[in-house]
Amino acid sequence: MAETPKKHLLKSPRSSKHQAKSTPKPSSPSHFAPVTPQTQTLTPRRSSRLNSPPFDPPIPIEEPKETPRKGKKSSRTSDPNAHRDSAEKLPKLNRKDKEDSVKVDVSSFSPASPEQLESKRKRKRQEESKKVVTRAKSAVSVPKRRVYYKKVVYDGGEFDVGDDVYVKRREDESSDDEVPEIEECRVCFKAGKAVMIECDDCLGGFHLKCLKPPLKVVPEGEWVCGFCEARKSGKEVEFPVPPEGKKLARTMRERLLSSDLWAAHIESIWKEVDGIYWCRVRWYMIPEETAAGRQPHNLRRELYRTNDFADIEMESVLRHCYVMIPKEYAKANYGDDVFLCEYEYDIHWHSFKRLAEIDNGEEDGEEDDDSDEDWKLGKDTNSDTDEDIEYDDENIKSLPTKQSSAHELAANSRKGQFFGLQKIGTKKIPEHVRCHKQTELERAKATLLLASLPKSPPCRNKEMEEINAFIKGAICDDQCLGRCLYIHGVPGTGKTMSVLGVMRNLRSEVDAGSIRPYCFVEINGLKLASPENIYRVIYEALSGHRVSWKKALHLLNERFSDGEKVGKQDDRPCILLIDELDLLVTRNQSVLYNILDWPTRPNSKIIVIGIANTMDLPEKLLPRIASRMGMQRLCFGPYNYQQLQEIISSRLKGIDAFEKQAIEFASRKVAAISGDARRALEICRRAAEIKDYHIKRLKSAPKSVCSGKSLVGMAEVEAAIQEMFQAPHIQVMKSFSKLSKIFLTAMVHELYKTGMGETTFEKLAMTVSCLCTSNGEAFPGYDTLLKVGCKLGECRILVCEPGSKHRLQKLQLNFPSDDVSFALKDSKEVPWLAKYL
Amino acid sequence: MGRENTVEEALNLLRSRLCNPSFVFKPLSDSPDSNYSKLKFIISSSVTEACNNSILLLGPRGSGKIAVLELVLKDLLVEFPDLISVIKLSGLLHSDDNCAFKEISRQLCAEHQLLFSKMASFDDNSQFMIAMLRECGLAHKTIIFVLDEFDLFAQGKQRVLYSLLDAMQSVTSQAVVIGVSCRLDADQLLEKRVRSRFSHRKLLFLPPSKEDLQRLLEHILSLPVDSTISHDYAVEFNAKLQNMLADEKFKQIIITYMDSDATVNHLLRFLFRAVSYMELGSGFLSLENFKTALSNIQRQPKLECIKDCSILELHILVCMKRLEVKEQNSYNFNSVMKEYKSIRASFQISEYYAWSICLRAFEHLLQRELICFTDNRGQNQSVEFRPVKLLISSHELQQGLKSYRSCPAILFKLMDREV
Repeated sequence: MAETPKKHLLKSPRSSKHQAKSTPKPSSPSHFAPVTPQTQTLTPRRSSRLNSPPFDPPIPIEEPKETPRKGKKSSRTSDPNAHRDSAEKLPKLNRKDKEDSVKVDVSSFSPASPEQLESKRKRKRQEESKKVVTRAKSAVSVPKRRVYYKKVVYDGGEFDVGDDVYVKRREDESSDDEVPEIEECRVCFKAGKAVMIECDDCLGGFHLKCLKPPLKVVPEGEWVCGFCEARKSGKEVEFPVPPEGKKLARTMRERLLSSDLWAAHIESIWKEVDGIYWCRVRWYMIPEETAAGRQPHNLRRELYRTNDFADIEMESVLRHCYVMIPKEYAKANYGDDVFLCEYEYDIHWHSFKRLAEIDNGEEDGEEDDDSDEDWKLGKDTNSDTDEDIEYDDENIKSLPTKQSSAHELAANSRKGQFFGLQKIGTKKIPEHVRCHKQTELERAKATLLLASLPKSPPCRNKEMEEINAFIKGAICDDQCLGRCLYIHGVPGTGKTMSVLGVMRNLRSEVDAGSIRPYCFVEINGLKLASPENIYRVIYEALSGHRVSWKKALHLLNERFSDGEKVGKQDDRPCILLIDELDLLVTRNQSVLYNILDWPTRPNSKIIVIGIANTMDLPEKLLPRIASRMGMQRLCFGPYNYQQLQEIISSRLKGIDAFEKQAIEFASRKVAAISGDARRALEICRRAAEIKDYHIKRLKSAPKSVCSGKSLVGMAEVEAAIQEMFQAPHIQVMKSFSKLSKIFLTAMVHELYKTGMGETTFEKLAMTVSCLCTSNGEAFPGYDTLLKVGCKLGECRILVCEPGSKHRLQKLQLNFPSDDVSFALKDSKEVPWLAKYL
Repeated sequence: MGRENTVEEALNLLRSRLCNPSFVFKPLSDSPDSNYSKLKFIISSSVTEACNNSILLLGPRGSGKIAVLELVLKDLLVEFPDLISVIKLSGLLHSDDNCAFKEISRQLCAEHQLLFSKMASFDDNSQFMIAMLRECGLAHKTIIFVLDEFDLFAQGKQRVLYSLLDAMQSVTSQAVVIGVSCRLDADQLLEKRVRSRFSHRKLLFLPPSKEDLQRLLEHILSLPVDSTISHDYAVEFNAKLQNMLADEKFKQIIITYMDSDATVNHLLRFLFRAVSYMELGSGFLSLENFKTALSNIQRQPKLECIKDCSILELHILVCMKRLEVKEQNSYNFNSVMKEYKSIRASFQISEYYAWSICLRAFEHLLQRELICFTDNRGQNQSVEFRPVKLLISSHELQQGLKSYRSCPAILFKLMDREV
């Protein structure tokens, strides 16, 4: 493999500059002994590598000798691309590839600028819009041509949709060289069974025993070999030379990272009519190929997922590699072909974006069926090709209004599908995100975030079981009677989270095939523009069409009550989750009535789960609604302090940032006030933030010594609680101007004298002037006093009428008079105030 | 000539400083306990650590909430270029849900060079906002929502706040919601489910302490030594200023002024006035300037109104006061006229005014807001039948009469004596 001659390759212009890995120079093997520094960071890394190759070495390519095994076969009869693709199948790569020929012809490889591609896209669009009519017709008449597969055994390897593979970069590049699956130790040049450790810088492998001093176990965190360490510190490094007759082989990984190979993600696999296997792939990119180049924080094994797709022949696929998100990557143990991918790279805008969490995408995918597989895939991604397809669909619908397609669609309208969101991305991944070593406190803050939801809420097992039983009972019946569940509880007690947790479990059960599929619609009452809009939203969620709410109501009524089923999907049971149900109460309560009436109809197959805060919402409603909704209820009581404590400590597991009493104090305090888990988490997060602030302040001030303990203690929690629960009025009153203080004192004095909360400005001014004259202060005049009063009213220390009422203005204290006395009693400026308080 | 130009230049510099809040609040911001550093820490930690926060900035009007926020944002935009986008809403303009979402979308589009459509519906805009929050979160970009007059957003259903805060707790975003309000109880206005999602960081903006005030005065009023303004002049100016600042009389003036309202903005208004009184001839600030400014700025508008009234108008006011003393709570022009006639009869006042002239005087009083209609009812009734009320207290009226140039003695008698 070492003879893969580099000079034959036409290299991309930028790819070579980072070939930092110097080829070994001759020297005595023991010349430089790698030491084992133990740098500790939290960057994900593979701790050790598997020594046996994950699968058999590939067999030389000839013909595709085996037709796909059973797999799940699913064929698409009306593929819009089929007609065109088969027409221009002659060249090895189809249309898409011709345009992005960069991927085939290495010599022309260069990152295309967005303008170019933009123009290409436009051209393509025009071409396609010409074809629109024929395609629309042909889509019906074209017979089955392609066969799609989920899994193909090709050339000895088994390729699934969703696998990551190496792809040949050049036509003539053969995969039949003896590509070593395992790498040899860089010191002793043997593979062997012994555990090897990988340098995080040069990615060279070392036997633990070959290191000097030898390591017993694989160290945690980052490890850099002695060679790299020395090179970094500016020394000349001489690598050990391989023994005579043995050449250093280049693994696929090395070839990929020096951009002699490609990695790609298989999106779909199909067989053309002539029996050639094709697959649609999504390319990965190495950091050197991006516009920003390799950035200092890039890991050696890092790849970017692009939004660039191509259809390639299966023949150019070499073998599997494994591209993983950081979480999996840290645990991965697949040998040498493991790569890390955290970001997506937009090839048009040269911008980066983190990959979304995978389970986010699953939640909205209720309607996908096997037949929809590849359509769905296209929908998820943001690639421009897919957009074009959607665009075409729209064109078919609205052919007469063709001129409108000339200009760009607005981003914020639905018609544009939030057009242009792919533009958003950073030009460079900010360094602080990747390189920053999180302190314990920062980790604690991150886990305490409200947004970092746990998979299932702790301490709510009983309620979750009940919900689970309810839903299962409702949808597992063959009859599927409609039912209704009302969930209530104060905010922050995990109502919505529990329901969603149950739904997630059910979803995995559906995937496993143990229960029937259903559709799930989630609506938040507060996010609707008006209560009637709910019909529209439900109908859109069920059918995908947007209609006016009246029409939607009509159609939904038809569907649920008259049992008129249109498509085959419609007989699935439907679970409707309505959050903040009380917002749907209208004057005549018709919206609630309509929705809650559906479950009572025969054959409706709808289950309504309503969530609200008030316990007696059904009782407040009309009796006919209460009788439909109030049957089954579930109460989420406020958390008690033990539960809150458990919630907090379950999040903080493994992070040493909080004193135990501090957590208990926070949870007891919150439990006593509201039992709101969000509050408890926020208090702890705020406390950590306060601590962090102080520590960072201390560090920036040079002279003071940083205290060794950085645990969040009672003081910080106390401060956070103060901030959250205490109104700041006392502090503000203390810092007020002299006249305001006198004004407030006069208010209190007046209150004591008359016993009435409310007073008028005229009376108050009299009192103020009395106070002033008897204590030797100058009376400021009515108009100044009025202004002072209005200022106080603005801060809502007082509640008062507008100042234009002047003498007749009514005033009242907004806080207890005791607070005022407390605040003003020991004022240094005007000590005589205490007399009157 | 050259001297005058220098003075002119110095004056311009001082004035421009007084109108530039970010200059004024700069020196107050370096201590670790200052709101500036606290706010900066919270926002920058949400930029670097990718977390969501919501903060309330509370404090009386004129205490520099927005000014400090602007300072922080300006610094952060320099520190993290391209990673922060700021969306500014004002409760006075966007408290309506629909309008607020539209404005958020518009600003988001403008910020990211996307095309904005005015026609998009409420749903579209709110979903667009959530999509943007997610995308920006994935791209490590922070969106900062500044909600000025926060209390006005906390009215009605609070859909905007709920959507924002709910998105922040469910989507992987990095956003900061900063509410600015002068109402100290702003967080109590939030609805319970909104409040539960709000992360309740509060920063309190208080008026400056005495020492801060002194520092602030020096910072604002002293001229820079190394600038286009001639060096000698600046040094002399600063020396005189130092003398004045140390002067007890000067301190007394400032204290008297700040007695009514201790906020920074209030002080700036005064300083602007004082600086404007600076004599171009001498070219230095003097105590006199501040004294004149003080007497000019502390005015009693109602008393001055009385000073400008005619004798007839004073008569009417006194009559109304008398009616009030008689505990006749509701009166209109006709009953006032009756009282006036009875006074005239019993005291043999010689002047006679026609009814129409009296009515005009009465209307004049209405316009000057010395009296007002009791209620808004009966708009179509003619003026003389609508019940009115006196807006100044008898005390003020008394004072006003005293300071009147040639007040007839009879009016004092009428004020005091009950006939």
